[in-house]
Amino acid sequence: MADVIASVGILTQIRLVAVLRWCILRNGLRRKNNRLDLIGMTFVGILSALFVFGLCFAFFAGGYNFLSEGRYGWLSLLFWAIFIFWQLFPIFAAGFGAGFEFRTLLRFPLNLTSFYIISLAYGLADFSALASVCWLASMTLGTAAAKPAVLPAMLLVATLFLLLNVTLERLVGSWLERLLSRRRTRELFFALFILSMVSLNLIEPILRRYGATLRPLAQRIVPYFSWLPPSLAGKVIASAAQAHLGGVVLGFAGLLLYAVAFSGFLWARFTKQYRGEELSETAAPTPIAPRAVPNVDDALDHLSALSPQVGAIVRKEFRYLTRNSFSFFSLIVPPMMILIFSAQLGGTRPRGTEFHVSSEMLFPGIMAYLVLILMAPAYNCFAFEGRGIQAYFMVPLRFREVFLGKNLMLLSVLAVEMALSLAMLAWRLGLPSPPVFVATLTAIVFAVVGQLSLANWSSLNFPRKLEFGQMRGQRQSGMAVLIAFGAQFLFGGVSAAILFGGRLMENRWLPAEAFTLLAAAAVGGYFASLDALSRLAEKKKEVLIEALCR
Amino acid sequence: MPEFAIRTQKLSRRFGNLTAVDGMDLEVAAGQFLGFLGPNGAGKSTTIKMLTGLLAPTSGSMELLGLDFVANPVEVKRQIGVVPEGMGLLERLTGAEYLQFVGRMCGLDRATTQRRANELLDFMQLADRPKTLIADYSHGMQKKLALAAAVIHGPRILFLDEPFEGVDALAAGALKALLGRMTERGTTIFLTSHVLEIVERLCSHVAIIHKGRLVAQGSLEELRAGISGEAGSKTTLEEVFLSIVGQDGAQRPHLEELSWLM
Repeated sequence: MADVIASVGILTQIRLVAVLRWCILRNGLRRKNNRLDLIGMTFVGILSALFVFGLCFAFFAGGYNFLSEGRYGWLSLLFWAIFIFWQLFPIFAAGFGAGFEFRTLLRFPLNLTSFYIISLAYGLADFSALASVCWLASMTLGTAAAKPAVLPAMLLVATLFLLLNVTLERLVGSWLERLLSRRRTRELFFALFILSMVSLNLIEPILRRYGATLRPLAQRIVPYFSWLPPSLAGKVIASAAQAHLGGVVLGFAGLLLYAVAFSGFLWARFTKQYRGEELSETAAPTPIAPRAVPNVDDALDHLSALSPQVGAIVRKEFRYLTRNSFSFFSLIVPPMMILIFSAQLGGTRPRGTEFHVSSEMLFPGIMAYLVLILMAPAYNCFAFEGRGIQAYFMVPLRFREVFLGKNLMLLSVLAVEMALSLAMLAWRLGLPSPPVFVATLTAIVFAVVGQLSLANWSSLNFPRKLEFGQMRGQRQSGMAVLIAFGAQFLFGGVSAAILFGGRLMENRWLPAEAFTLLAAAAVGGYFASLDALSRLAEKKKEVLIEALCR
Repeated sequence: MPEFAIRTQKLSRRFGNLTAVDGMDLEVAAGQFLGFLGPNGAGKSTTIKMLTGLLAPTSGSMELLGLDFVANPVEVKRQIGVVPEGMGLLERLTGAEYLQFVGRMCGLDRATTQRRANELLDFMQLADRPKTLIADYSHGMQKKLALAAAVIHGPRILFLDEPFEGVDALAAGALKALLGRMTERGTTIFLTSHVLEIVERLCSHVAIIHKGRLVAQGSLEELRAGISGEAGSKTTLEEVFLSIVGQDGAQRPHLEELSWLM
């Protein structure tokens, strides 16, 4: 018989979980690189506090004005804003969550009720929940200041709205966890997520073009939204302000119904988890017909010009690229963005805007954007190696070959992306003049090759492991991000200064000449840096292995 | 051919105030199958990481096949194969792709790499899942693949850090068969394991590290004789091991302190 003489109270359990989260955060700061990240976290914390408290005033003013001016229908908008933030922010910000899986609590002697309540309490400690509670409180104060009589209804609605939101957020999180537990589903979901985020940019051009057609459809759909929780919450307050008891009761009953339904679904999900739902992927053997051994002589080596080691790394990088949905789909983004930019800003037939940008300006700008997007991962180029980083130190090669292979792959991707983007530009806007064209290409060589040495250095000094197709716990090293930002700012700034210098001096070929010199210097510097980086890799191998093998 | 496949002199590694390996003088003759034993935290993994180039020593020297490792890392790595702790696999490749990657990195030509990769996959019974990523392999399959990768270039020394940990009897059989072939071929094998029965069955020689210091080294017979005082003793390796590392009273469990468990 175990020596446990009393069960642990639920408040104690909640406190223990809070302490656990704090310990995870504090212990994570023990490492030097993570302490540097603390600077970034502090900065983000200050910005977040400004964001939350700034919006507190907005919610107070909104609640006060809408009630005092009799614009009751607008109250629902405030609830909608809170609802959307509360439900969507956790999905976007999953990467900043503490590294703790809530399900691990199941190994402890908790009953289902405790597990459920602790989960809700845990959900209330999220940033989105804390911010939303602040905004709900501000709104309550605003409405009470405008019409003190609505305070009881507002307090009831705020409490119910809070319960409803935290329950729904945990429910969505739990469903997502189940959905994303399999690698293939996770990668597919992640790819769709990126594509949907990029597609948001298309909303404005679509609305501009098809707005008139879509408006009647939207007008037919919008009334159905009035039966959703934020609209119901707004209706309750509006009815209370107008002393319509029937509206208050009906709206409140609707909210209660939602809360009960969400709670029921969440209870059902947690019951499954509590009983031991298996989410892990199993490698159950399936009978597969033996493969035919490929004929070695038929296998062409398309990379025979490279050394075997560099060729092997290029081949491996290509395979990793095609199997990493995030990286792979990010390649679609630049040409898509060019389509969007050219539709909005430039072109011979710019869509609905008076602001016209010529290809002379847009071409360098878009190429700079391409470099910005595609160079960023190079600053943590070992992120997806995981334990495989050890392979580089076990095989007989100098680390310069690893960098050569990785950088060559990056340059190939850049070249393909630039060719695609160039084709897109030529179709949408036409090509720029030869001086601008040559200046931009040489500027790209200067900026990209110049950054490679810095990016390689950053990858060795500030490695951070990232998982394929995973959102939770994915965070770049703060220092790597700072270095990338600084380098991009420096190279972008120098390039912009030279381009504008050429315009000021009215010498159209001057930027091309200057960039050619700089590009030659950058290429020389890059090759000169490789041996030093090889030596650095040898010194930093323990840091790399420790960071990536976790 | 050098007399010793591995020779270290005063090899040490410190992590801050902790000395994980303390002045180790180790000699492993060419062709030996050495079991490297020690309690948890004794310094086994640190030693194997230093000997394979994954960790730099704080002081001392290491010679592998007569070559100074620090001065000739690339040359030494051509001659050794490693199954490191955690296996070091690139999990987003398939088994065949990974073997081809390692083979090419070790300098084998493309045709040889492909032929050996196919043979190894067949031998390890991994050939029936050509499109499965390593990330989706079971633990045993990953161990077998890690061993296949370690031997694809025909190394003269093979380092194995806990190769049988988490491996079922079937997979272990394949691993042992491969190791048997390697020893017949004259490869020096340096193996760490907590499973003393495996070491006793496979290894011809044993070295024991305790608190970072090499406390015993020799053939199994020599170690047994050293403990029992007579040649041809039937003392088990476990008894040898416990008598050497358990001499320090602090290592013995004081069960009386856990009286509440009785």
